[in-house]
Amino acid sequence: MNWQADWGLRFRMFVTMFLLFALYIVFAGVITAYVGGGLLLFGLMFGGFSLVQYYFSDTLTLRSMGAKTVSADEYPQLHASIERLSQQADLPKPKVAVVDSKVPNAFATGRNQKNAAVCVTSGLMNSLEQDELDGVLAHELAHVKNRDMMVMTIASFLSTIAFMMVRWGAFFGGGHGRGRGGGGGGIVVAILVSLVVWIISYLLIRALSRYREYAADRGAAAITGNPSALASALLKISGEMDKVPKDDLREEAEMNAFFIIPIKSGIVGRLFSTHPPTERRVEQLRDLEREMQSF
Amino acid sequence: MGLLDGLRAILGSRAEADAGRDADPDDLFGMSTAYLTMEADLGYDSLDVGALCFSGVDSSDFRDAVDEVEAILEAGQEETGTGFSVTADDHGYHWVILEDDDPEDLITSMHFAADTFIEHGYGSRLLAAVFAYENRDGPAYWIYSFRRGRFYPFVPRSGRERDSSAEFTLESALDGELEIEREKEYWYPLWPSERGTHPWE
Repeated sequence: MNWQADWGLRFRMFVTMFLLFALYIVFAGVITAYVGGGLLLFGLMFGGFSLVQYYFSDTLTLRSMGAKTVSADEYPQLHASIERLSQQADLPKPKVAVVDSKVPNAFATGRNQKNAAVCVTSGLMNSLEQDELDGVLAHELAHVKNRDMMVMTIASFLSTIAFMMVRWGAFFGGGHGRGRGGGGGGIVVAILVSLVVWIISYLLIRALSRYREYAADRGAAAITGNPSALASALLKISGEMDKVPKDDLREEAEMNAFFIIPIKSGIVGRLFSTHPPTERRVEQLRDLEREMQSF
Repeated sequence: MGLLDGLRAILGSRAEADAGRDADPDDLFGMSTAYLTMEADLGYDSLDVGALCFSGVDSSDFRDAVDEVEAILEAGQEETGTGFSVTADDHGYHWVILEDDDPEDLITSMHFAADTFIEHGYGSRLLAAVFAYENRDGPAYWIYSFRRGRFYPFVPRSGRERDSSAEFTLESALDGELEIEREKEYWYPLWPSERGTHPWE
């Protein structure tokens, strides 16, 4: 059972990544010209930090979310579902974790297939039927399979450096300039460029993140063979999400990238959100369902 | 991970592609000589039963495919004498269970059934083929993963324990005869719902 490939989605994803890449080349060029050595040190330091964070992303993320790894004895049904879905997705079984929270949500993390973890909240398990839960779990497994953690880490790396430059760039000013623009003037240019790079890359990364959600939805549909169940899960979760208070999780904005439905924080434009609107996702899943029924 | 897989991952379509990848049922024939080795060299008796595990799709076209699998097995029954039934398990997965005391016929019927799924475009829904044996310690299974295209042993013991030394023996003895799954994290168990039953019961 194969759906028609979504070439539009792949194309948009490719263009977004290409633009990000081009932007980063420009950024790296300008920064080396104006800041040089100072940035190298800065980059190494930050790069090392980011690498460690990526490497231990499974345990770190779980800890920061207050998630507890659970055994098959504690949650036999959840383990059994993840086991079967991983088998269908051709993945080794990931770690299974649960967060004790009423907010229905799920996320996946980990640097690769073998070190992946899938986490659900107790609220998610309580509010969804089994086939809906399977849809959500398959969506998270699709993130693992598509290596979204790696893609998003790489995509965000230089953007974060640009952000740091804007904030702390002044410290790297004096003495490090290579003369062309003079120490003081060069750093101002570097900070301005960093600011522009940061804003544009932020928007591109958000777009990329939304495209990868669509891709993971399609992956989930292929794994479960049941696009409708995921659609109904998304509708249920987003409905529930509006009802519960959001404040306690606002701090976890970064982690939103891997949530099945992001926590809304105030009024943010579509350009700024990591996830596509639920209605659009449901619409796409409906298309898959329709295509499937008419085979 | 090959170059193409890497590219698919980058473009976010790997999950979809892999979950939708077709199966190759010809590998099942690898089991026919394994039956001899299992009985002659290892002292396992064939339970003369095998089963195909597949995950359902909620569409009428898929139900038609399952109907045709049943029709084909029904028609083949006269020639091969393979008994069959179709059931669902507690996990919501479905099974085609085949019984025949001739391993060749059993495998042929299983191949027919798998091939019918593939012809209907549902090869990717085939999860595993299971072949049952037993010795004095209890049952032992060879599981063929359609997703991986490899065989692996599964020896369940009471209390959801696996007899890993028996599995190791089976793995070593049939290495070379069967395409064996090297990565043990893919040796997925198919636990029976109750003690003393088969995974499909």
